[in-house]
Amino acid sequence: MKIFDLIKLPFNKNNPVTVQVLGICSCLAVTAQLKPAVVMALSVTVVVALANLIISLLRNTIPPRIRIIVQLVVVSTLVILVNQILMAFVYDVSKQLSVYVGLIITNCIVMGRLEAFAMSHKPMESLLDGIGNGLGYGVILVILGFVRELFGSGTLWGYPVMEKLGLYKIGYENNGFIIMAPMALILVGIIIWIQRSRNKDLCE
Amino acid sequence: MKQFSNKYMILFSLSLAAIVALLLSAVSMFLKERQTRNQQAETKQMILKTIGIEATLDNADKLFDRNILTQEKGVYDANGNSHAEIDFYQYDCGFIIPLKGNGLWGPIWGYLAVDSTMTIVGAVFDHEGETPGLGAEIATDKFAEQFIGKKMDVRPIVLKKKADPSSPYEVDAISGGTMTSNGVNAMLEDAFNEYENLNRRVELSCSKEERKEVSR
Repeated sequence: MKIFDLIKLPFNKNNPVTVQVLGICSCLAVTAQLKPAVVMALSVTVVVALANLIISLLRNTIPPRIRIIVQLVVVSTLVILVNQILMAFVYDVSKQLSVYVGLIITNCIVMGRLEAFAMSHKPMESLLDGIGNGLGYGVILVILGFVRELFGSGTLWGYPVMEKLGLYKIGYENNGFIIMAPMALILVGIIIWIQRSRNKDLCE
Repeated sequence: MKQFSNKYMILFSLSLAAIVALLLSAVSMFLKERQTRNQQAETKQMILKTIGIEATLDNADKLFDRNILTQEKGVYDANGNSHAEIDFYQYDCGFIIPLKGNGLWGPIWGYLAVDSTMTIVGAVFDHEGETPGLGAEIATDKFAEQFIGKKMDVRPIVLKKKADPSSPYEVDAISGGTMTSNGVNAMLEDAFNEYENLNRRVELSCSKEERKEVSR
């Protein structure tokens, strides 16, 4: 496999959310606004990439019988670090993400990549695979966050877009429904639909 | 597959645990100060919110110092040494009463701003780990706004099902959050017992008009 594919494939043919259908829970939970979606995407990318790198470096020294526990310890450590840093530097965002940062540990994408890729590949490839998968997950999160914040609250990154455009004056109203978690699932469904109609390989 | 001895596995786990523990404690020590500062700013932000001042984490310190006076009381610890503890806060036209209690999963807390007749003018609640959608609803504005206009004078305010909105001592409980609601009730009762006659104990001199001017 070419090195470049490791980054590219998760964006399309091997997207963790729309193709592997992993990490859906956090997709619904943190995408009501753009800012937490971006922070979550970056946090997951950092965690997957570093966890992949560390596990790949250790892969020949990890006894197979305790490998899952070792993976879990590495992931938890990284997540605690991310959480501590968020609490120190972007407190309001860490407050909003609250339990979901802790839930990165249980995000199937992280453990899935460690077990399926990092345990059997070289460090450099694993790092790239981690970055690719983190960003592939992140891009879906950002799309959802963008659509949901724009149509649900009429703002983007807190900036009142719809108000500045003067749409409220001509009778436009925010769609409160789109803020609810099920709408995120429907949006993911629409993204999967578009992706599969453009890429016939993905259809069974 | 390579074979690993039991001794190797145990040593591997122990050294992994030791490295991780060292790393985490180092980071925690290093970031502690910043995190504490953020938490303090957030508390000030909450307190300011009860009297209608919206502050950000950055300007909370400044606005707090300008609008709010902290009243302390002497408390004796187990060894007989006295130290100061926050009693209540005072703003130009009333008091802000701190609430502390326990919810279902962890601590819950809040602040009630009352005017000189012990009528609530603003409230905020927060929690550490109540269930989202159920107990965690106490942190919403919708829940806190119910307290506006209620009274802290004759008996404690209670959360109950089908509360009478015209009664100054009743507020709707959280549906599906009974344990958290009970925690809030206990917290309100404690606060009532401690601060019942606050307006008679502490002098206030202000008028409604003055208050508006200061908070703007």
